[in-house]
Amino acid sequence: MSAPVTVGNGAFEPSIVAFVCNWCTYTGADLAGTSRILMADNVRVIRLPCTGRIDTLFILKAFERGADGVIVSGCHPADCHYTAGNYHARRRFAIFRELMNFVGIDPRRVTFSWVSASEGGKWAEVVNSTTEQVRQLGPFATYPEA
Amino acid sequence: MNTKRMLSRANLDALIRDLVAAGTVVVAPTHSSGQERTGVTYGQVQSPDEVLLDGPQPIRPLKGVVFPPTEALFRWRQEKSAVKIEEVPTGFKETVVIGARPCDAAGLEVVDCVMGWDFRDELWFGRRQATTVLAMACTTCDESCFCTAVGLSPTSTRGADWFLTPVDGGFEVDVVTPKGEAILDRYKARCPEAGGAAPSRTAGLEQQVRANLDVRPDRIRGWLETHFDDPLWKRVALRCHGCGACAFVCPSCHCFDIVDEPDGAASGTRRRNWDSCQTALFTLHGSGHNPRKDQTARFRQRIMHKFSIYPARFGEVLCTGCGRCVRVCAAGMDLVSILAEIDRAAQGGGEA
Amino acid sequence: MQELRELARKLLQEKQVSAILGYEHGRLGTRPAFVTDVADCERLVFDHRCVHNLAAYLSPRRTHIAALGRLAVVVKSCDARAVAGLIRESQIKREDVVLIGVRCGGVVRDAADARPLSADNVAPRCVACEKREPTLADHLVGEPKPAPAGSGSRDARLSEIEAMSAGERLALWMQLLAPCTRCHACRQVCPMCFCERCIAEKTQPTWIETSPHARGNLAWHLTRALHLAGRCVDCGECERACPAQIPLGLLNRKVARVVADRYGYIVADDPSTPTPIGTYQLDDAQEFIQ
Repeated sequence: MSAPVTVGNGAFEPSIVAFVCNWCTYTGADLAGTSRILMADNVRVIRLPCTGRIDTLFILKAFERGADGVIVSGCHPADCHYTAGNYHARRRFAIFRELMNFVGIDPRRVTFSWVSASEGGKWAEVVNSTTEQVRQLGPFATYPEA
Repeated sequence: MNTKRMLSRANLDALIRDLVAAGTVVVAPTHSSGQERTGVTYGQVQSPDEVLLDGPQPIRPLKGVVFPPTEALFRWRQEKSAVKIEEVPTGFKETVVIGARPCDAAGLEVVDCVMGWDFRDELWFGRRQATTVLAMACTTCDESCFCTAVGLSPTSTRGADWFLTPVDGGFEVDVVTPKGEAILDRYKARCPEAGGAAPSRTAGLEQQVRANLDVRPDRIRGWLETHFDDPLWKRVALRCHGCGACAFVCPSCHCFDIVDEPDGAASGTRRRNWDSCQTALFTLHGSGHNPRKDQTARFRQRIMHKFSIYPARFGEVLCTGCGRCVRVCAAGMDLVSILAEIDRAAQGGGEA
Repeated sequence: MQELRELARKLLQEKQVSAILGYEHGRLGTRPAFVTDVADCERLVFDHRCVHNLAAYLSPRRTHIAALGRLAVVVKSCDARAVAGLIRESQIKREDVVLIGVRCGGVVRDAADARPLSADNVAPRCVACEKREPTLADHLVGEPKPAPAGSGSRDARLSEIEAMSAGERLALWMQLLAPCTRCHACRQVCPMCFCERCIAEKTQPTWIETSPHARGNLAWHLTRALHLAGRCVDCGECERACPAQIPLGLLNRKVARVVADRYGYIVADDPSTPTPIGTYQLDDAQEFIQ
């Protein structure tokens, strides 16, 4: 696995992957960008049609490939572009989060949020707070390897 | 080579400590890590206290020492238009197995045939070379053991470099191979020559095992060669789940799958992993056709390979009668009953 | 048992079914049995060693079994939950199977255990069992039996693990999963693992590495536990079948507890109840979502 990312002064900078839905959070993130809101640049955004499409394996794969933290974000309940994708996702993530915690994947490394297309500010908040939280937790060096 | 020597338990413990101190990997029956079911497994030990020589048969076979459940074959890295192959280091750590069951030690020799057949498997032989097997005669058996039915016994020295027989006071040591001599040379002080023969604690065991199953492999092979379509296969395979647990605990099963695991766009590792012919995927073609499309065909293959095809090719039964498949099978397939039934049918000259 | 055998004979004679799927005594213990002849019905037994969940044999993927025709299956109440699951998820039709419910007094953990049933060898789920005969059944045989002796909280170990720190838990699970050789016996014996193509067999891309290393093993076991959320019937077959003696039930029991706590759902042998993962409520708890 690649070594943790550090900046010039050797401090650890977390690598965070965000799985976001196209209609709400991705658009909201875009808004954060066009609004020139300052955000930590540790997050790599992966766009999916809906949180309902987000398989829990994506979260595990991100950790397998060296992510220190993961964000999963989508439309608020009742606002899903596909009507009910986020309701299914909500149950799935609720269960998987507790299962991950049970096997020792610190739940503070995975952030779930509802961020709408108009909530650029909220997206920036999610990004910044998650980055800081994962920075404090340190690199996820104990995620199992081969 | 045939001078018997005596190894007291204290000296065995000292030998283990010597080996560990010398950086040798010492593998022996030890407690497995299961939390709710305790079992004995072959595992690396750091001290004599971890070694369990009077326990039940280890739940994992010894083959994992020379043929790990997963091993990296090589790593690759793509640089511009060239691909660099990085060979995985082939230097294998010196390993000594203490307390191998005879069925497990024999399994290694039986699989040597195919591993050196049309392509020499350097990983298998590299590890075999680096591993010295100090096998031990069994002092216990159960109703699943049937080593005697396949030409072995609780005191068989096949595959052993030393053979230890538990006696009062310790173990009688029979140094079987030149590799065994080499280990003896280094640790001679631990193993003085034996005086008279001490009473063995293995008496009567062979009879017990023979009572479980008394068949002739050549007769079974004859029946298998002429009964590919026998209704027996359909009947017995009904309860088989196709889980492959039998193959994974077998000392002589050796099939493997090769996979590529990329760790990025331009690099990765090629591995080989244990596999089993009992899974549907094993013979699934890319076209979607599966020549062994149901459990009947797959289970038949298992028996055929072990008792007909491998013997035809190499003159060895691909089974050491360890009984793990019987113990572990969730569906009660019971190879012992099946072999008994086939042998009876072979004698009766008719259908099973 | 005579009641069971007479019923089996009747079903075969009247051609209501082509085969009976029940239990018989093998050489070393009880095991599943497929009986197609009236005369062979004498082999059928039901006792405290009938631990296997026969519902696993009903999957349409098992073409060599489906080819036998209509089956009558002997089911305990736990097994009936699995049959209900298969019906609920459209794997079999209710009318395509005859269910012979048995009144059960608990089973041992190991089908080859020759000892009488006692607190020492009883399967933990039997001690907690509230309903020792299935509701989902066409026939019900056997005398009502008392609850088996046994003690200890079923999920004491779960609570112990939950009390550890994240680091301790991860280290524990790496240790517990290390002997896994990815034989997938857990999947093969599970009645609810009936996918024609398991996610673990998918390549291009490979989401779950098939190699039995720590990384692949964690992905496999977490995914299987999640895919069984609200579907696992707690029959214990996965744990019994595991040749590496891994306490797999811990993962399934944890998920079952989460599903019960959050959605009030406990698996029952009623095919008409919807699965919690396939459904939702508008006001599902979302305290973990920012």
